[in-house]
Amino acid sequence: MPDTQALVNDFLNKLKKRKIEGSQATARQTAELLRSVISQQRVPYTNQAGALIDAMKVVGEQLIAANPVELAVGNIVRRVLHIIREEDLSLTTAAISGMNLSAVSDDDDDGDQDDHPVLSAAAVAAAARSTLRPPSLHTLLEDMPDSAAVPHTSSSGGDSEGKSKSADKSTITRKLKHDVIEAVNELIQDIITCHEQIAEQAVEHIHQNEVILTLGSSRTVLEFLCAAKEKKRSFRVFVAEGAPRYQGHLLAKELVARGLQTTLITDSAVFAMISRVNMVIVGAHVVMANGGVIAPVGLNMVALAAQKHAVPFVVLAGSHKLCPLYPHNPEVLLNELRSPSELLDFGEFSDCMDFGSGTGSPLLHVVNPTFDYVPPKLVSLFITDTGGHNPSYMYRLIADYYSADDLVIQRKPTTGN
Amino acid sequence: MWWRSASFVLDNSRNPVNDNVPPKSITISPPPLTDTTAAAAPPLQNPNFNWNMSMSAYYQTRAAHHGVVTSDWLAQAQEAAAATGAVDGQEDRSDGGGGTGGRAFGVIDEFNRWRKQPDLAEAVAAIRALAAVIGNSEANTMMELEIELKKASDSLKSWDTTSISLTAGCDLFMRYVTRTSALEYEDFNSAKSRLIERAEKFGEISCKARRIIAMLSQDFIFDGCTILVHGFSRVVLEVLKTAAQNKKLFRVFCTEGRPDRTGLRLSNELAKLDVPVKLLIDSAVAYTMDEVDMVFVGADGVVESGGIINMMGTYQIALVAHSMNKPVYVAAESYKFARLYPLDQKDMSPALRPIDFGVPIPSKVEVETSARDYTPPQYLTLLFTDLGVLTPSVVSDELIQLYL
Repeated sequence: MPDTQALVNDFLNKLKKRKIEGSQATARQTAELLRSVISQQRVPYTNQAGALIDAMKVVGEQLIAANPVELAVGNIVRRVLHIIREEDLSLTTAAISGMNLSAVSDDDDDGDQDDHPVLSAAAVAAAARSTLRPPSLHTLLEDMPDSAAVPHTSSSGGDSEGKSKSADKSTITRKLKHDVIEAVNELIQDIITCHEQIAEQAVEHIHQNEVILTLGSSRTVLEFLCAAKEKKRSFRVFVAEGAPRYQGHLLAKELVARGLQTTLITDSAVFAMISRVNMVIVGAHVVMANGGVIAPVGLNMVALAAQKHAVPFVVLAGSHKLCPLYPHNPEVLLNELRSPSELLDFGEFSDCMDFGSGTGSPLLHVVNPTFDYVPPKLVSLFITDTGGHNPSYMYRLIADYYSADDLVIQRKPTTGN
Repeated sequence: MWWRSASFVLDNSRNPVNDNVPPKSITISPPPLTDTTAAAAPPLQNPNFNWNMSMSAYYQTRAAHHGVVTSDWLAQAQEAAAATGAVDGQEDRSDGGGGTGGRAFGVIDEFNRWRKQPDLAEAVAAIRALAAVIGNSEANTMMELEIELKKASDSLKSWDTTSISLTAGCDLFMRYVTRTSALEYEDFNSAKSRLIERAEKFGEISCKARRIIAMLSQDFIFDGCTILVHGFSRVVLEVLKTAAQNKKLFRVFCTEGRPDRTGLRLSNELAKLDVPVKLLIDSAVAYTMDEVDMVFVGADGVVESGGIINMMGTYQIALVAHSMNKPVYVAAESYKFARLYPLDQKDMSPALRPIDFGVPIPSKVEVETSARDYTPPQYLTLLFTDLGVLTPSVVSDELIQLYL
């Protein structure tokens, strides 16, 4: 499929050159790309889900490598993988339960059926459903024998029992692809509408005459504040300007245009102002599995100030920002250093940064990290499109959205080699 | 959540009934068993009691497996060997409340046979023993079998109230028997054989759990890190072994683990793997903490709050680590999750063990012989279990889901 490869390469280039900004845009475009890859993917008659999953993994690995800091890409790849698994499972359980009724009747002439004791359809469905769910104490005793073969159960089970049913296979294949694309469409829709869904909850959190503090600019925060304003809440917003990109200025402008009382402050004034603030509401780059947040630089400081004065620190994040990984040294590994030109104008200090100044290295260094890591204990509440959650509850949302087999996408091929 | 959970109250109200029966029935395992009912009594009620004498069965197993024998134990062993013969006769009668007296004895027998195998976790032994009950059962219906199993598991639990993983293993298996929907669809005999088969698989499950935990924890061990470990834990050893096999460069500080000196054994094992290891006395933890990057501990039991019950000293290590902002990681298999909600250190029936001070202790001096402490969840960073990497609050969630 040369055309999808071109699409993938195009997207890879954009990711590598950091042409796509913001996790929402990245997530949406990733999902759209994966959708077209799926629709172009030729699927064999046996093990269709396996083929799709492999194709997704190949593409997903490239995408993640192109911009490892933009975790939204990996999140969407994993979500799509999870969707494929789920759809495949619902199809095979439907098929098996249909088949089992016939299998029971001609059981005695079938020799190899004795190896697998014939279970009722309900039991099979229950067992299959639990293979997708993350492992729990429930299933500790129950499906351990199967779980060694978990990645293959759904497909191989279908193969062995359905060998006579090859006529159905082509319809199942088409159906699987169709269902998956349908589900990915839903996912894209969710990503597009996540702002509105988060903003709907604004009135529950913002009360009359409150003072809200935010830093930098986030579209989610803007929509959230405006939604509260539309519901006739009057409140005041402190906007920290968010050096060095000063996106706070843009946010302040937007807020004023929509008729909100706005105060612009410098980042260094956050601590001075925090005692007058009722709630801090910020956006996030990514939410990690332990409830920690990768957020625009400067937010850890705000979170610490908020903790010092016992001000609730609320993080808004769409579900595409939930990452199933645990942060390891996130300040360094999940960070990106941007151009020093954001800090300094050319010409002013640029002499000091001259590499040709005899010593071989410049005297002046500029470090301009993009992200901060806010540990989970500093976050009071996450507001996602499904509602408000405690940091320690994030794992459960993640367990709903991702399947445990997909956590390591990059490593699979390397161990295979 | 600030008050003890209902389940805990229920368990306690049931326990006194069992406590009337002196649950002494082992004669097989090498170190002799002393009275476990005495272990359940608070220390202040009988000041004359010689605490060096009593030792929980749980720690006997640990001692037997971990192979550290103090002179104290040998003396006791001889003393108690003489005593057991006399006690044995009474015990048989008192244990037999009904027709199942013989059966209960059989369970404990079976359990002790299993747990003598050094690589077998206690929960596995418990489940194997219960499977043996199913195998020997003459019951004709599921209901009868369940009742029989319930009796067996109760007698097993009351035989050693101090072992958390024994109780947890029994509970887990009983839950499987009573709640598994797959069993309802089958006839009695195939259900029975399925139960036995699952119980036999459980040994593999426990070994596999250790490997899963070791795999999960590899991401957290980075090159050049220093790890503090406390006591001996098979899981932690597996974790460090896997890290060494993956060619990670790290250094381990082992605490000595007085009085069993279990840390010595761990340091031995690590030295065999060519991992740089340093032994600390237990009181040097705070002194070395600034060099440490993470603390790794095992657990005897993980309780509903998400805290852990582990070898004495874990709590203070966690406190020191917390105050110096070092992560505390717990490696524990999920069958160690127990339905307990200890509110403070004294809220569990203490597991006692002898302490060899090297010098005779005057009779007026009381000795704290409790073998384990409770570390509250706020001092733990993450738990590595075969269910995945969990925050402490997930543990309560899992337990509530399981027994709802």
